[in-house]
Amino acid sequence: MLRVRATFKKTGRAKYISHLDLNRCMLRTFRRSGLPIWYTEGFNPHPYYSFALALSLGFESECEILDFNITDDNMSMEEIRDRLNAVMPEGMGIISVAEQVQKITAIAKAEYSFSLSADSPDELLSEVEALIAAPEILIDKKTKKGIKTVDIKPDMEIISCTRSGNSVDIVMRLPAGTLTNYNPTLFCDALKKNGSGMFEAERFVRRAILCEDNSIFR
Amino acid sequence: MLKNLIEKHLLEVQKPSRYIGGEVGSVIKDKSKIDVRFAFCFPDTYDIGMSHLGMKILYSLTNERENYWCERCFAPGEDFEKIMRENGIPLYALESLDPVSEFDFIGFTMQYELSYTNVLNMLDLAGIPILAKERSQELRQIVVAGGPCVCNPEPLADFFDIFILGEGEEVNLELMDLYAELKKSGASKDDFLRKAARIEGVYVPKFYNFVYKSDRTIDHVEAAEGAPDIIQKRIIRDLDKVYYPDNFVVPFTEIVQDRVSVEVLRGCIRGCRFCQAGFIYRPFREKHTDTICKEAKCLCENTGYDEVSLASLSTSDHSEIDPMLTKLLDYTVKERINLSLPSLRVDNFSESLLEKIKKVRKSGLTFAAEGGTQRLRDVINKNVSEEEIMNTCKIAFEGGYSSVKLYFMMGLPTETDEDIVGIAELAERIIDLYYSIENRPKGRGVQISISCATFVPKPFTPFQFEPQDTREMIEHKQKLLLDSVKTKKIKVSYHNPDVSLLEVILAKGDRRLCKAVYTAWKKGCKFDSWEEHFHFDKWLEAFKECGIDTSFYANRRFDYDEVLPWDHLDYLVSKEFLIRENKTAHQSKTTPNCRLRCSGCGVNKKVGRECFC
Repeated sequence: MLRVRATFKKTGRAKYISHLDLNRCMLRTFRRSGLPIWYTEGFNPHPYYSFALALSLGFESECEILDFNITDDNMSMEEIRDRLNAVMPEGMGIISVAEQVQKITAIAKAEYSFSLSADSPDELLSEVEALIAAPEILIDKKTKKGIKTVDIKPDMEIISCTRSGNSVDIVMRLPAGTLTNYNPTLFCDALKKNGSGMFEAERFVRRAILCEDNSIFR
Repeated sequence: MLKNLIEKHLLEVQKPSRYIGGEVGSVIKDKSKIDVRFAFCFPDTYDIGMSHLGMKILYSLTNERENYWCERCFAPGEDFEKIMRENGIPLYALESLDPVSEFDFIGFTMQYELSYTNVLNMLDLAGIPILAKERSQELRQIVVAGGPCVCNPEPLADFFDIFILGEGEEVNLELMDLYAELKKSGASKDDFLRKAARIEGVYVPKFYNFVYKSDRTIDHVEAAEGAPDIIQKRIIRDLDKVYYPDNFVVPFTEIVQDRVSVEVLRGCIRGCRFCQAGFIYRPFREKHTDTICKEAKCLCENTGYDEVSLASLSTSDHSEIDPMLTKLLDYTVKERINLSLPSLRVDNFSESLLEKIKKVRKSGLTFAAEGGTQRLRDVINKNVSEEEIMNTCKIAFEGGYSSVKLYFMMGLPTETDEDIVGIAELAERIIDLYYSIENRPKGRGVQISISCATFVPKPFTPFQFEPQDTREMIEHKQKLLLDSVKTKKIKVSYHNPDVSLLEVILAKGDRRLCKAVYTAWKKGCKFDSWEEHFHFDKWLEAFKECGIDTSFYANRRFDYDEVLPWDHLDYLVSKEFLIRENKTAHQSKTTPNCRLRCSGCGVNKKVGRECFC
């Protein structure tokens, strides 16, 4: 049995597919491809596949991870990739396919880019810079147990923050994986709360899924 | 480009993937190479409309023609409609994201009466004048409708240019061909409509004038502009040769019927006297087993669905049901596909087949008993005996089921209090049966759910002449049923009788109702079939303002010799037959199904061949 890890993109109109719908969508993609995907055993067998991280509705990405097993040991990775790509919905596609190397628990963070647009980008930039420099960034995070106030500052890594035209473009890394997941919209919420709130956040992209040492998760 | 404007707001709404297209299986064409564009509109939300099989068939069929492009369009949910209106986003089609107002045909499928106001709302959202007479005289924006409700389209007559009667596979293309030809010659809309009216199955309402008597009933109907006096519905003669799609649009979001559906037959042999579908879809025609299996396999492979459903009014009436299911199951079991079998009568099955079906059937057990006593079931010609109900329940209980759902109608012709009490008594006998079975499910009690709808008499049924019970009568019967149920093992639920009242008015209404439909929509009525959007008070105001006496349509017996609003439409079933069946019903006598004996409904004469040979 081949333990396969596919990196796929979810761009354009495909960003409006919710995580729940993506599950169904991928099941049908597998079925259309006719690939010999491994089914779970037991009372109610179903095709086994899993996504490493959920992607928020409206986010684009070119680094999503999908794990599944192929029962035919002799199948080439290229064939798996091509057969899936032949039947993928618009905006989605397999970028690469390889054997699974690391465990899912190796995922520690993810890198995101997004843009904040405003009528007065200079003011916005200084608000953003002030927030980044603040000693703590407290946000109300919805959890299963209710609303919890957390400080995202210690775990937030700013990669870049630049002004271009009417917008401020930010690239940041946030914790992701099985333990803690912070969404970059939390930063935007904090910015709204602490500043004038006169901006629109758009073009959210997940750029990389990383391990603790900043290497790409494989 | 509308796309950018739509995307700007898309993340503010529920289930945004419904509004942006791009699904697997959707057909994209180069519009510069297209002669006729058809917007297939379903007057309800995406989740519901995408489940409609007729749309899938006509969508693929039209798109097979290189120079025609059929696109999909649905009613936006309340949240998105608000955004559309606030930001000037007109109603658009999902493939090109172009405004529907740019299309040559804007076609609605009318599946239920309570979607009428949604048509008006969608036309308004599209920026198309709602009244046909206020639209452009140029040859464009032809607003058409098909589907079961157009068997009496009069309450919609003011809003449509054309109604298409019967099955659309051939006539839709004929209409588009005529349009393409006339468009080249620079003809006007009226030129087109005059010629269209000569196509069989095409009804152009504005060429027909209703003359009323002083008692408000119809005196006669006059046809003008050379349009035929009687318009006959279209049928497809050979179901094995008719086009069936090899692919469906596969939605991202979950829809009501999220599976492959394969049509196994059209029409129905049963002749239940309340059932409109049982009469307007005649004659009975089957697809062969090989065709059905081929279509199921092809659709599963192309869509990736892992569930197939067999679509028909009564699947077990297929003459090859046993070999068909055996062959289908061979394929579906191997491919790990679920086969679901709605509309199944369990009575005429072999034991071995029952075993096979048990493997794939997971859903609960439902029974459309419709009437509480045998006498009433004979009146409505629901040829189900209590013995059959009990037998099936026994098999089900022994097979591990412990709950049964029973459907009934309330307010049926000749119904008495005894029939209502009979509903509760039937449920109690099923409970007794459960506890008399030794190998019943261990440690579980039995649960019977009774669901009661209010009877709505419909055109082209033997009950088309019947009045609906008044609200007071229905309320009395509801209370009586509740009082007759003495155990918590029986749960009773009702439909809202106001909804049924509106349904009968729109089903049996005439052209004078158009004003009321318009007024109700103006007052904010839409999505009338959704409980949270149903505002009966606004409808009552609209009827009052338009001088409509609702009891004239709902609670009055229509005479046999009265000119009915749909008498100029010919659905192949003769009025004499319907009158005969109505009289037989009042004698509590049943009529055998078509396969046992021809009852002379007249369809075979019109079609020119026997239904069964």
